[in-house]
Amino acid sequence: MAVVSPGGDPAPGMRYPVAVNETERAEAFYAHVAGGGKVEPDDWMPDDYRAAVLKFVEMHANSELMGVLPEREWILRAPTLRRKLALTSKVQDEVGHAQLLYRVAEDLGKSREQMLTDLLAGKTKFHNVFHYPTRSWADVGIIAWLVDAAAIVSQQALRDSSYAPYARTMKKICWEESVHIMHGRDVVLTMMNGTDAQRALVQDALDRWWGPLMQMHGPPTKPETDRDLIWKIKAKGNEQLRQEFLSIYVPRIRELGLVIPDPALEYDEAAGRWNYTEPDWDELRSVVTGHGPMSQERLEFRRTHRAQTQWVRDAIIGPVGAAA
Amino acid sequence: MGAKDKVWEVFRQEAEGDPMIHGGSVRAPDEELATHYAREFYGRRQESERLWIVPRDTIIELDDPDLLKPPFDRSFKRPGGFLIKHKLEAARIRAGATGAEPIEELGE
Amino acid sequence: MTVQDAASQTALAELLLAMADDEFVLGFWDSEWTGIAPILEEDVAMSSVSQDEIGHAKALYELLASLSGEDADEIAFGRAPAAYRHAALMNHPRIDWAFSIARRYLYETADAVRLESLAGSSYEPLANLVRKMRREETYHLLHFDLWLRRLTEGGPESRDRLIGALRDLWTDAQAVFAPLDGEEALVAGGIMPDRLETLRKRWLDRVVTRFAELGLPPMPAAPAPAPDGRRLHGIDFAWLHGEFTMVAASEAGASW
Repeated sequence: MAVVSPGGDPAPGMRYPVAVNETERAEAFYAHVAGGGKVEPDDWMPDDYRAAVLKFVEMHANSELMGVLPEREWILRAPTLRRKLALTSKVQDEVGHAQLLYRVAEDLGKSREQMLTDLLAGKTKFHNVFHYPTRSWADVGIIAWLVDAAAIVSQQALRDSSYAPYARTMKKICWEESVHIMHGRDVVLTMMNGTDAQRALVQDALDRWWGPLMQMHGPPTKPETDRDLIWKIKAKGNEQLRQEFLSIYVPRIRELGLVIPDPALEYDEAAGRWNYTEPDWDELRSVVTGHGPMSQERLEFRRTHRAQTQWVRDAIIGPVGAAA
Repeated sequence: MGAKDKVWEVFRQEAEGDPMIHGGSVRAPDEELATHYAREFYGRRQESERLWIVPRDTIIELDDPDLLKPPFDRSFKRPGGFLIKHKLEAARIRAGATGAEPIEELGE
Repeated sequence: MTVQDAASQTALAELLLAMADDEFVLGFWDSEWTGIAPILEEDVAMSSVSQDEIGHAKALYELLASLSGEDADEIAFGRAPAAYRHAALMNHPRIDWAFSIARRYLYETADAVRLESLAGSSYEPLANLVRKMRREETYHLLHFDLWLRRLTEGGPESRDRLIGALRDLWTDAQAVFAPLDGEEALVAGGIMPDRLETLRKRWLDRVVTRFAELGLPPMPAAPAPAPDGRRLHGIDFAWLHGEFTMVAASEAGASW
């Protein structure tokens, strides 16, 4: 986009006083975002901020793309016409979200092709939950309901991000995700109202997914040193998100007769927070660095398919050079 | 980005008569594919009446605060810049208002 | 117009099942592209098309269910592989992008000819459903003609792959117009305004003309499809059938 500056101003696009040098300019910028100010792609921004937003959005985009794979296997196995349509549509939406987020990241200066290459080479990360296997149709319900719910708690808090294109994208994504949670809850409810075998499948799925769900928002961080919080790239800290998730969803899980596999999980009225068994942060670290049960298999799956379809991209959009 | 690939901005209309609002962008090598993809991302849920698809490189952006937010008072250019409430009240009292319904003024 | 005689009713059921199974099976194969299509934007487009097909299959199974008293899901998921009536064109997995595009192009154009004709069916519920389906198919026709052109013009590799795929699929594509039991009764009653062989010739004419316009080499001769063009299905479909019945079969009678 051509940015016009007929006044010949040396700092077009800045919505705060023109600064004399880089340091002052950066200080003015950080004061702007800390005060709730917004940033657009063509605005001047300090390298640190640009890098922080890019890293955040890139991981989010990677997660949507890899998140497709656990559910994708069940598209063929959906047991009714309606479920097939709903699940295909949901997975389609995840692909769509990946596109939206890669576009935001690309406008910050890193090409989609380079991001895909880095993801598949294990250089960048994606969220923990997408490194685990799915074992039954009950997993499909639990993922669509609870994993998406945990994600939405984070995503709602991002709708006011200082980086405006990301904030706008999060509004669209939150609107689209609300359908997924309803679909997931419907799948779970149908099974819980069904046979003993179906109920057992759901309980088993919950037993396996609870650990990763509790790790999903990440370990608590110190607000004073969490740059993503200070620069308002994100609005809430990890622990706050986890507490929100628990407050909404623990009652909804328990009311179905499901048992959450953490005997220490209970609400502490005095402290005004949920207490729970400390999640295994070592497991989280290990998983997101590519050592999860399905990490390598899924990355390899994507590498294979990407290679197999390279000829199509070359024909349709033209070659991108060695980096692709 | 591929040698033939471009970014296209998509604007959408929520309901008949509404203004066109920016939705987001798609990548495509040509108008035809860009149109199909715009439909997918901003219309597959039947959420739009109309779409505009525009190559990003044809868009001119103006964000210079000297042009858009210059410092001198320009409140006379906007209805909200006219505060007539107190003057109107005083004028009505002086003229001995009969209790008829006041005519609503824009910007009152 | 209700279907008066038993022969027409049976024949109509065959027609509806054939159309529904075509959409159902193709919708399944192509739904496999979700998440792994060559381009992110195209991934979403292809998924929409697959969902449309499943939606059409659902509507056709529901129409059939209204005649037979069964339930649409029972019809869709409850048969042994040999009882499916999709055309041989749908027996293959998606293989690769050229194969999938070639199959889509051949199927969408054939289906368009079929739907054009059935829009004038004397059986109102079918005519109405077909008219709705045709509106959605507009996008499919545009999209796959676009891809046919792009692959033809995209360089030697894409062109060669496309031509190879079209040739591989050519004979099986004829089976979209494979004979149906009771076709005579359907034609006599105006439920099918045109015979299948008439439709096939109309389709061939259009496709051959289009290929010539694009500078694609001529296809081999296209003999009338074998009578079992909708009855022999093979191991790939057997695998697919296993996948899509797996959950439903795991707990008989359960709701999902």
